[in-house]
Amino acid sequence: MEEAVGYLAKHDLGIRVLAGGTDLIPSMRQGLFDSEHVLDIRHIGELRGIRPRPGNGVEIGALTTLAFIERADFLRRHYPVLTEAAATVASPLLRNMGTIGGNICLDTRCLWYNQSLTWRKGCGFCIKKDGDLCHVAPGGTKCWAAFSADTPPALLCLNAEVEIASASGVRRMRLSDFYTGEGDAYRKLQANELLTRVFLPESSADYRGVYRKLRIRGSIDYPLAGVAVAMKRSNGYVADARLAITAVNPAPLLVKGVTEMLEGKAVDEALAESVGVLAAKTAKPLTTSALTPEYRREMIRVFTKRAVMAVANGN
Amino acid sequence: MTDFSIIGKPIAMVDAAGKTTGSGKYTDDLNLPGMLVGRILHSPFPHARIKRIDTSRAAALDGVVAIVTGKDAPNPYGILPVGHDEHALALDKVRYVGDNVACVAAIDEATADQALELIDVEYEVLPAYFDPEESMKAEADLIHDNKPHNLEKDYHHVFGDPDKGFADADHVAEARFIANEVTHAAMEPHSTLAQFEIDSQTGKRGRLTVWSSTQVPYYLQHKLSLVLEMPMAQIRVIKPLVGGGFGGKSEVIPLEIIAAIAARAARAPVKITYTREEVFWAHRGRPRTIIDLKTCVKNDGRITAVKARVIQDGGAYCSYGVVTILYSGALLGALYDIPNIQYDGYRVLTNKPACGAMRGHGTVNVRFAFESQLDELAAKINLDPADIRQRNLLQPPCVTVNGLRVQSYGLPECIEKVVERSGWKQRKGKLPRSRGLGIACSHYVSGAANSIIRSDMPHSTVNIKIDRDGGVVVYTGASEIGQGSDTMTAQIAAETLGCSLGRVKIVAADTDLTPIDIGSYSSRVTFMAGNATLRAAEQVKKQIAAAAARKMSCAPEELIFRDDSVFRKNGHVGTAAFGRPAEQGSSASVSGRVEGQILRGSLQQKRKDEGPKDWMTFEEAVVAAIDFHGALTGTGSYAPPPEARGGKHKGGGVGPSPAYSYSAQVAEVSVDEETGEVTVHKVWAAHDCGRALNPVSVEGQIIGSVWMGMGQALTEEMVWKDGMLMNPGLLEYRSPSSVESPEVEPIIVESIDPEGPFGAKECSEGSLAATIPAIANAIYDAVGVRLHEVPFTPERVLAALRAQRGQKKINLTEGIDPTAPAKFREHGGSLWFRGKGPERHPLDPARREGPAEAAGGD
Amino acid sequence: MKKELIELRVNSRSYELAVEPSKLLLDALRQDLQLTGSKRGCDDSSCGACTVQVDGVPMLSCTMLAASCERQEITTIEGVSGHGSLAAIQKAYGDWGGAQCGFCTPGFIMTVTHLLAENPRPTEEDIRGALSGNLCRCTGYSQMYQAIKAAIEAEQKGMAEAR
Repeated sequence: MEEAVGYLAKHDLGIRVLAGGTDLIPSMRQGLFDSEHVLDIRHIGELRGIRPRPGNGVEIGALTTLAFIERADFLRRHYPVLTEAAATVASPLLRNMGTIGGNICLDTRCLWYNQSLTWRKGCGFCIKKDGDLCHVAPGGTKCWAAFSADTPPALLCLNAEVEIASASGVRRMRLSDFYTGEGDAYRKLQANELLTRVFLPESSADYRGVYRKLRIRGSIDYPLAGVAVAMKRSNGYVADARLAITAVNPAPLLVKGVTEMLEGKAVDEALAESVGVLAAKTAKPLTTSALTPEYRREMIRVFTKRAVMAVANGN
Repeated sequence: MTDFSIIGKPIAMVDAAGKTTGSGKYTDDLNLPGMLVGRILHSPFPHARIKRIDTSRAAALDGVVAIVTGKDAPNPYGILPVGHDEHALALDKVRYVGDNVACVAAIDEATADQALELIDVEYEVLPAYFDPEESMKAEADLIHDNKPHNLEKDYHHVFGDPDKGFADADHVAEARFIANEVTHAAMEPHSTLAQFEIDSQTGKRGRLTVWSSTQVPYYLQHKLSLVLEMPMAQIRVIKPLVGGGFGGKSEVIPLEIIAAIAARAARAPVKITYTREEVFWAHRGRPRTIIDLKTCVKNDGRITAVKARVIQDGGAYCSYGVVTILYSGALLGALYDIPNIQYDGYRVLTNKPACGAMRGHGTVNVRFAFESQLDELAAKINLDPADIRQRNLLQPPCVTVNGLRVQSYGLPECIEKVVERSGWKQRKGKLPRSRGLGIACSHYVSGAANSIIRSDMPHSTVNIKIDRDGGVVVYTGASEIGQGSDTMTAQIAAETLGCSLGRVKIVAADTDLTPIDIGSYSSRVTFMAGNATLRAAEQVKKQIAAAAARKMSCAPEELIFRDDSVFRKNGHVGTAAFGRPAEQGSSASVSGRVEGQILRGSLQQKRKDEGPKDWMTFEEAVVAAIDFHGALTGTGSYAPPPEARGGKHKGGGVGPSPAYSYSAQVAEVSVDEETGEVTVHKVWAAHDCGRALNPVSVEGQIIGSVWMGMGQALTEEMVWKDGMLMNPGLLEYRSPSSVESPEVEPIIVESIDPEGPFGAKECSEGSLAATIPAIANAIYDAVGVRLHEVPFTPERVLAALRAQRGQKKINLTEGIDPTAPAKFREHGGSLWFRGKGPERHPLDPARREGPAEAAGGD
Repeated sequence: MKKELIELRVNSRSYELAVEPSKLLLDALRQDLQLTGSKRGCDDSSCGACTVQVDGVPMLSCTMLAASCERQEITTIEGVSGHGSLAAIQKAYGDWGGAQCGFCTPGFIMTVTHLLAENPRPTEEDIRGALSGNLCRCTGYSQMYQAIKAAIEAEQKGMAEAR
């Protein structure tokens, strides 16, 4: 691993990290990254695996595959929202390859961006790559490409932290601070840095959790909207709850105010509905993917309501 | 009841092992020494004049062997004789984003790709047309100069007296239906390998051989001849395994011609394989169709008249378009008894890739509209949707009002079967809320009775050769594309000759070896190539029978060929001679024992004459015949009978078929009323295929058709924005995965067609069209909304539900995103956006010339 | 791009290849080793036609670099039937119509052999889930389920006979 961060330091801007490759390689084939070097970290054993730390949560190596997470009994028992989200990522084949670190770092998506060079030439490029025009929010200077990974909203609900390594040392940050909210420079990871580990705190253990994903096809698809909820209950009342949404903004977002809205209450349809309305207000989908923005925002409301009901009822 | 030994048995496809082991070769799997890779430069503009192409920088790149442009092959072509409007590489104009401009042949893909970026093309951008109804108003900047108003073709048919039909009716339904564009998305991207030989006599460039993923090798040979100005005899087209077609390989695709001209220029073999994006541009799928439909019925449910106005968004070239628009009208007939039909069809050009033939060619979208409307009328008059269909059946044999001859007609049985199997009578209307059942019917041609090349040439010809080894080689031009054509051919030959399947070898679709067959499209292969095979086999059988009859001292007519034996009727039934069972796969290469000696292929063997026999092995009979003639050969051909060729009206040539297949389906769906998501739980699909030659294959075709119909119904759609295809890949073009694919219960109905081979008709296309309306009608049954636009995406379903309940509207327009900018080419057609990009593309000329100048240019 | 020498283990044999570091595993298999059974059907890692097993786990060979697979055991469709005869699953795919055009078939077989190795008695839901990363355009998948069930039965019968 030291060797790896050494390479990163040496090549700085001209290098891309290859883990599972499921995002990087198709994007490179479309000419979306033109870095000279690729750093293959697939075989760094120390970054693979799930290590429970009694009393201190669990540490997940960034190279742990999504398939491994999906089937990890420890996680299913104690952090079910994560296994549920991991199980919905793309397809079984891609989960055999894709890693949790890669899923966290996943590039934002847009129909005007994830296209071949020839295609992008046809529309004169876009602000995220090679151009300076946004096709989904014309006139704006902001990139609205949507963050479209499934596990980060689950991790946000679990108050996850990530470890970032570089030649100058190791730092830890909350996952909620990792994303910028911009579609182009979407994450706070410098070119010389490597995301190495994910930590789930003990305080988030044993929360019930569900993840609901809007997709057109039952497999392969990335989310067009996604909702993760983690909830702790006590005597039929909500003791704590967090809810995050994905695929409808340039970053996965914890919905503010959900905890306050649910805390100390017994969940019923009306309450779940008002959480849904709140979540929908946080969603700012644009025409970055299939299905209209209005529909996707509406589904954030419906899926949130259903997720809250499901988690409260223990499904 | 006829007793067959090979027909009607579920057997593995004869080429299955090559497919399951990976040893079978598709075009892209082939390599030749010195082979170059070809890559194509595509237009970034939907409509532009090419002012100049400069290939000099690209040509100077090390590893580039040849660059070809439109000038290298200026002859126009097109699949239809009336539609010769294409150039494999654009000559003066590009007409869609993705149109072909130039091709580089280089030593490897990376070099070729690099060279593409060095070709400088100067375009004059022209106004473009994307919406067919807008395009029809065009006065200037026409897509093709000889097509005023961008109208490829329009037809106006009146059969019977529609006005009287409307006047006589008790109920009328009228609506606009829209079916968005879908594509074949066969798993194998198109691929072509082309090689020229040197002629021994002249010492110059000679014959051309093309290996290609094609459904139509003969048409390809013909068009190559036209464009390359070479005699057909100098061109050999070989079809290796083809990874699915569905119509997408049923005409000459630009890369097939481009590979040949690139090989000619490069003086080396050139292989071009499309990227998936290029496959979407080459396309030729089912056009976006706008259908204004009016149907009238009497109180008893009898249809009195139908009026349809159909507009098809055909894209930039004719392709099969004239045929598609005609099928859309013609196939209003031959399913039900409709006395009066008015049809107005418009095939319109737009600046998008050309649409062409796709599974269920021309009929699918109109069938969706019609079957939906019939359902609506049934509800109006309070009739069961299955009943209204049964009340409008044809009475065959008959000729429909629009000139289609119907003989075998299994539709009544199809309806009965699906009603019974689905529990329709007990369950319809009694399912829990938001779950429903829907029924619909469809039909399709078993090959077009009139070839697109108007001539008296047979549509299929098949040769059979049998030599002393007792092996039966069938030479057929019919193209196996996964539908089982080789297996069908082998089965018919083996059944007719009474030999085991293991003796039969199929040589398919190599224009040097196989007689002309017009190809695998319009579901014609079983009916036409099957009949030709049957006739060829009978011709050879006659020769064998004559010799065997001499040996057995009987009349040839008395002989029965079966299970690798020849015996006399009512005589000794001796099969499985010499311990050699007639099981399938029993190898023809290990010959049987004859009089204590191993009989091998080339043996010149004397046999003792033991006087008359009462039975012989197939091999003995063959050898007896060969002793007189040498190797046996037989030829059979098929041309549709004149009675089946349709009416004399303009456009009457499209629609007629020697036989029609029939399908009835029931779909069971549930609808999530909050999300609009539709789940198809099960589809019962009864299909009248005449006779199921291979039940496993027939069921596979039925299931595959239903499944593809479900894809179009729910998830598949080519989404366009200003001429840009937003989803040119299998990630964004959502062909269903295994998890949401429903159970399909295929039900085979056998009406035994009087003219089909062993009574068989088509089974690969007809089922598709019924699935979409069956699902639509089931959605109506479930939640009471009538959907008018395909696919039924969750947002469209939700929008309809909201409208029905007067709830807050979901903002939607027909497939076009209302929040997207109306025009994205705000940079005035310049390829490179002017301004200060954060990271200009390295190929941007402004960047090449230096940043200072670019800034000053603004 | 300059080529580098790598060693690949494919179907239990070792090969030394000179490839560009950017070369995809699929291209190395198809172009350098002539193992053309693995197919390219898409360019966006969605279709599964290129599926091979890497250390026994099915993955997309179009989404991996050849050089990244050194020291790993790669199994392609060509490595499934070792004895000059069809494996039970291959025979069953032929018999039950699991393969029509056959282009996606090698990828499916690689996925299915892994499924059966992990879960010898899968339910239909298990099968559907496991196959959902491979796209087929011909069959609608149904006949594949029959084929898989038939292959399981054939294997069990074969094992019973062997006892």
